[in-house]
Amino acid sequence: MILYKGEIYPNEKQAELISSLEEDMYLTLQNKETLSYLTVINACDKLYQRVINHEFDDIALPLLKALNMPYSSLERYAKVFSREGLLKKIDIELGDLKNGVLSLDENNNRYYEPLGILFHIAAGNVDLLPAYSVVEGLLVGNINILKLPTGDNGLSILLLKELIKEAPVLKDYIYVFDVPSTEVETIKQLSNMADATIVWGGDEAQRAARSFVDIHSSIISWGHKISFSYVDNNVTDEEIEALCASICLSNQLFCSSSQGIYMNTDDMEELHNLAKRVLPIFAKVSKSMNTLPLTMKAKNSLMLYNDELEGNLNNIYKDSGVSIVVKEDNKLELSYLFQNIWIKALKKEDIVNVLKPNKNLLQTVSINKNLKDKEDIVSLLAKAGAVRITALGDNSRMLAGESHDGEYALRRYIRIVEAIK
Amino acid sequence: MSKMSSLFRTRKKKIYSLDDNLFYLAMKENCLSHYKHNKDYKALLDRMNFSPDDIHSYDDLEKIPPIPTLYFKHHNLLSLKNSRYWVKATSSGTSGKNVSLIGLTLTDLLRGWGMVRRVFSYHHLWSIRPHRYIVFGYEPHKGNDKAIAKTAHGFTFLSPSLSKDYAIRWTKDGYKVDLDNLEAKLIKYSRGKTPIRTLGFPAYTYFLLEQMKAKGIKLKLPKGSIISLGGGWKSFYKEKVDKQVFYDLVYEVLGIDDKHIFEFFGAVEHPILYTDCRNHHFHIPNYARIIIRDVETLKPVKPGQVGLINLLTPISVGTPILSIMTDDLGILHEKSCPCGEKSMYLEILGRSGIEDIKTCAAGAEELLKGDKS
Repeated sequence: MILYKGEIYPNEKQAELISSLEEDMYLTLQNKETLSYLTVINACDKLYQRVINHEFDDIALPLLKALNMPYSSLERYAKVFSREGLLKKIDIELGDLKNGVLSLDENNNRYYEPLGILFHIAAGNVDLLPAYSVVEGLLVGNINILKLPTGDNGLSILLLKELIKEAPVLKDYIYVFDVPSTEVETIKQLSNMADATIVWGGDEAQRAARSFVDIHSSIISWGHKISFSYVDNNVTDEEIEALCASICLSNQLFCSSSQGIYMNTDDMEELHNLAKRVLPIFAKVSKSMNTLPLTMKAKNSLMLYNDELEGNLNNIYKDSGVSIVVKEDNKLELSYLFQNIWIKALKKEDIVNVLKPNKNLLQTVSINKNLKDKEDIVSLLAKAGAVRITALGDNSRMLAGESHDGEYALRRYIRIVEAIK
Repeated sequence: MSKMSSLFRTRKKKIYSLDDNLFYLAMKENCLSHYKHNKDYKALLDRMNFSPDDIHSYDDLEKIPPIPTLYFKHHNLLSLKNSRYWVKATSSGTSGKNVSLIGLTLTDLLRGWGMVRRVFSYHHLWSIRPHRYIVFGYEPHKGNDKAIAKTAHGFTFLSPSLSKDYAIRWTKDGYKVDLDNLEAKLIKYSRGKTPIRTLGFPAYTYFLLEQMKAKGIKLKLPKGSIISLGGGWKSFYKEKVDKQVFYDLVYEVLGIDDKHIFEFFGAVEHPILYTDCRNHHFHIPNYARIIIRDVETLKPVKPGQVGLINLLTPISVGTPILSIMTDDLGILHEKSCPCGEKSMYLEILGRSGIEDIKTCAAGAEELLKGDKS
């Protein structure tokens, strides 16, 4: 399906519509006033109200069921589109720039302009994400071309079409194409029309973008990240339970999901003691949440059995499909996912040395409340590259106004103009 | 004669009548042989607190530590010196890395040959009548050690061949998939009288048939033609269709009913020829046994329950593949099959760990796709 100027077209029309796209977009830039964020926020808020008033339940409920999520998570995610959430985002991300034309000195003004045209290559890892990416572009007045992710379930087009219904002026600012990733020439063509190509996805997607994006167009990367937890012996059972719940809920598939636990110690014995504490809680939480697919349970059993054959017999703790591997190295790595975590030692003195080489990969670190030397450790984690330090169990929380992987998206989607008075 | 060789001389009529005592003795012999000649295998069994002397009966076979196919991908486990191997084959990993290396000695090959000869004979696949072969797999090339390429090539010798055509052809730029060529050949050969035999990956067979169906092509292959499938759906697991849907498509496009469709199953780490019966069930032949293991505890489960497939055979003295753990999930069925064979049959449900996963955790896509295993 294609969404073009508020109308839905079949994919067969793709070539025809793309041939008129650049001209249509330039006409909008030439003739229309810059889109006000208030227009966008009003439309989003109306849509948000409709979502929480159950108007979209026939789509949302099966989706939540498939993801094993409670209704409250939909409300939480939808809130990002509420007036309150978006105004806070504007406030924080644009600061005084939101007020329009500002004075630079007695002869010059300064103000922001949208980059112009954004081409979003969305990833399918969160169903609301493609639409959200477009909303971010709209908030600062950009025209947005969205390439749907493979396997998109139609939600993005539906939401954007509804958004246009709430504010018909948006029809000139939203274009959605269902181009497969293999159609490189078409993707290149769309990217060439844009001031910036926004790439969501892992290394493969980022590498591909670098190969086709025009040298005069920029790439704005929202790449994959890795997250973990950091604790000491003061961690409570309640905190461990909260961490296990967040692990079981996401099956460690989010950038923010904890892949393992570092402990502020150099004593292996303490790591084993922690594993013995965590295991029964982890198993209990997993059983009650029941989010572990059989095939993944099988895959992890095989991986762990293979580890045992490799000689790693005494470091594996497992029960009811969940597992913990105590490791002697301190390298930050992915777990086996799906309710498997590692536990490693990392003295606070080594935090920067060990974590800094991961450069832009770090995202969330969840820590225990009574962590000794908490302030020092938070500061060291931040210096090493972490951008969110949260309570255990809050790895995947969403807060209105928080940055995205340490950056303000809206700042990346605008340029500053200085003009003589 | 060794018990292992005796087992592989199981008479044609007895292929699906299981002799558990002989199988146990052959497995013990095989385990002892590897334990004696293979330092790494010995170390592995020692580490797992297992000795071949612990095998006292057929029931003890489940205690032999099964080796996951993943382990073979990281270790060279050949038991004998290089000069003993006549064939070295690798698994058909799509990325070219993470492949298992299995070496077979002359003795292993002779055992395998005896098995293949009898199994094909049992299923009436030998023929003196010339055939045309359409292979939905690799064209042979000296650089291709994939077992699937070797077995597909071997299949073309079941009868005299008038022609051989391949879906994955060797070109100056390496292997290229060329289904259009096979489509043209099928159309051309369907007008003749020489029966056609196809063999190969079900995915490619399915893709071509779908392509032909979309073009409205309906053929009637010459009498005596058969469609045979092997090698699994591999990376095309998402496209995998129900067997009946597949059979209906074959009938619609090629005019072949499901009594002339055969499916084979085997693995480089378990070079046993499983051929489906006329009800499309993979019965266990006397050369092998299957244990289904619980996905969590890896303990054997009862027939009818889902679990990981553990395959056992004493075929090889070259490589310790006597008990291997696949990453496939399956069920063993003990209910009687209308074909009359008594042995239980295996239903393969698909690979473990494959889900339509959405993730933004760095490196997770690669891990789940198996590129990092």
